[in-house]
Amino acid sequence: MNAIEVINISKTYTSSFRKNKVDALVNLDLSVPAGSIFGLLGPNGAGKTTLIKILLSICFPNSGTAKILNEDTRNYKLKYRIGYLPENHKFPSYLSGGEALKYFGKLSGLNGVQLDKKIDELLELVKMTQWKKLKVKGYSKGMMQRLGIAQALINDPELILLDEPTDGVDPIGRKEIRDILADLKTKNKTVFLNSHLLSEVEMVSDRVAILNKGILIREGTVKELTEKKHEYLLELENKIDDEVYFNLASQVNFAQIKDEHYTALVTDIVELNKLIDTLRAKNISIKEIIQKKSSLEEMFISLINEADKKNNV
Amino acid sequence: MKNIIIISWYTLREAFARKVFIFFAAISVIFLIGLAVVFSLVNTDSILSSMNPAGDKLVLEQVISQIQLVITAPLSNLCLLLAIFSSASFIPIMLEKGNIDLLLSKPISRTQLLLGKYVGATLVVFINIVFLILGAWIIISLKFSYWNFNFPLVTLVITFTFAVLYSVVVLFGILFKSSVPGMMTAYFIFLILSPALHFVKLQLQTLTGKEVFKSMVDSLYYFIPKTSELMGTINSNIGQGKAIGDIQPVLSSFLFLILTIFFCDYILRKKDF
Repeated sequence: MNAIEVINISKTYTSSFRKNKVDALVNLDLSVPAGSIFGLLGPNGAGKTTLIKILLSICFPNSGTAKILNEDTRNYKLKYRIGYLPENHKFPSYLSGGEALKYFGKLSGLNGVQLDKKIDELLELVKMTQWKKLKVKGYSKGMMQRLGIAQALINDPELILLDEPTDGVDPIGRKEIRDILADLKTKNKTVFLNSHLLSEVEMVSDRVAILNKGILIREGTVKELTEKKHEYLLELENKIDDEVYFNLASQVNFAQIKDEHYTALVTDIVELNKLIDTLRAKNISIKEIIQKKSSLEEMFISLINEADKKNNV
Repeated sequence: MKNIIIISWYTLREAFARKVFIFFAAISVIFLIGLAVVFSLVNTDSILSSMNPAGDKLVLEQVISQIQLVITAPLSNLCLLLAIFSSASFIPIMLEKGNIDLLLSKPISRTQLLLGKYVGATLVVFINIVFLILGAWIIISLKFSYWNFNFPLVTLVITFTFAVLYSVVVLFGILFKSSVPGMMTAYFIFLILSPALHFVKLQLQTLTGKEVFKSMVDSLYYFIPKTSELMGTINSNIGQGKAIGDIQPVLSSFLFLILTIFFCDYILRKKDF
């Protein structure tokens, strides 16, 4: 089952007097499996926040439909089952952290002892218990972010939408947030994550989608997106003789990286097997063969550059 | 309904935090102290006997009611202006990026949000006006030893007038996400347009000119809320326990309020944030 289904959604922002038009999303199709952590990546202005806002009916698409937990997103009662942390959110400055959670908890249909208990649990989870009674206006950016996450979890939602959750949070805080996300996954919750921090997304996400200028340019598991299909790293028992090395290098794209470590760029798996056969025929012992991977960041930059080049052409 | 109550309650808290209550209370207390001091210095018995030499009880009651209205009317008008000023930013603040995203992510409809804020702001003003009017009523009643129980009802008229003008402030707040255009429009209606239309309407029969112009003025008169009549004749009649008289200003103003709130709701429900 999919927690989120986006079908052919387009959104164009029109400025005052309709002079300028910006395509925030263009015929977007996207599915997010229930119980997964899904990372949505993209440069500034890619349409990531617009997508979340459409899912929550904070803004409306020009065309297309979206479903959350199998229900139409325009039904506001659906939000009993959703938690959301907006980017640059603002809590009423006259409330303390505990009071702010109470306010949003009440709006989420909770009250009484149940709500008080939940507030204490969540403040403990985001390590904010000692700041419960401090007015929100005195909070740092990191504290606001932690409180925002607590607010998003107040109604024990099935789906949590997080827009830049680690923004302004220190490395220890980021690790704690990653742990919270991992814990949510064990509870079979679906997490939809918007982030600029690619390494964070890489660490926690099951699936990733990349948006650029409102267009979905790639989607898949982190493994699928980062592996380089025909590039392999080989670790051999010993360094190869120069003569054998130059012989191999003339047949396939084979190069020494350092000592016993080599890289091979092959056209397909058949060529890889041929290379292995050649090595073995020359009595060269292979310790390990690993398919080469790029980091999510490398892949992201290369995809965005590629997409921009295509657009410019 | 529950969501409207929650939003209204937190609007009261917002007003308290923004010192709206303290500000109003300070003005009211200064006025009430001033009133008490003036009454302690002035021999009201001689004033009353000069105004009512025969000592007729009915006339005496009317004179005291008039005094109550003469004293509180200018302050009620001032309070109305201050009320619009202090509540004009509730909607633009709610619609700020970061605030509205959080609110709309909760299971609350946009209509409930709008009504919650509207009712909350009206309650803020009602509480402040009650404090002022009841304070003035108690002081005047103690001084003259006559309790005009109709007088506190003017709080309802003032609050109703505020509610009508506030609907305009809310509409402009939604359209422009700013408090200034709405405030200026409400002040324009209250201070200039409504009194001017009221005056022209009264003189319309005697005016010479094109019928088209007369019809336009007449239509505009019925469309624009009649704050001039509400805070004038109707306030005075209710304060003195008389019949309202012409109900048309109340009904047409109420209709204006309802239409404006419907329009606000329509725009809010269509708006992208």
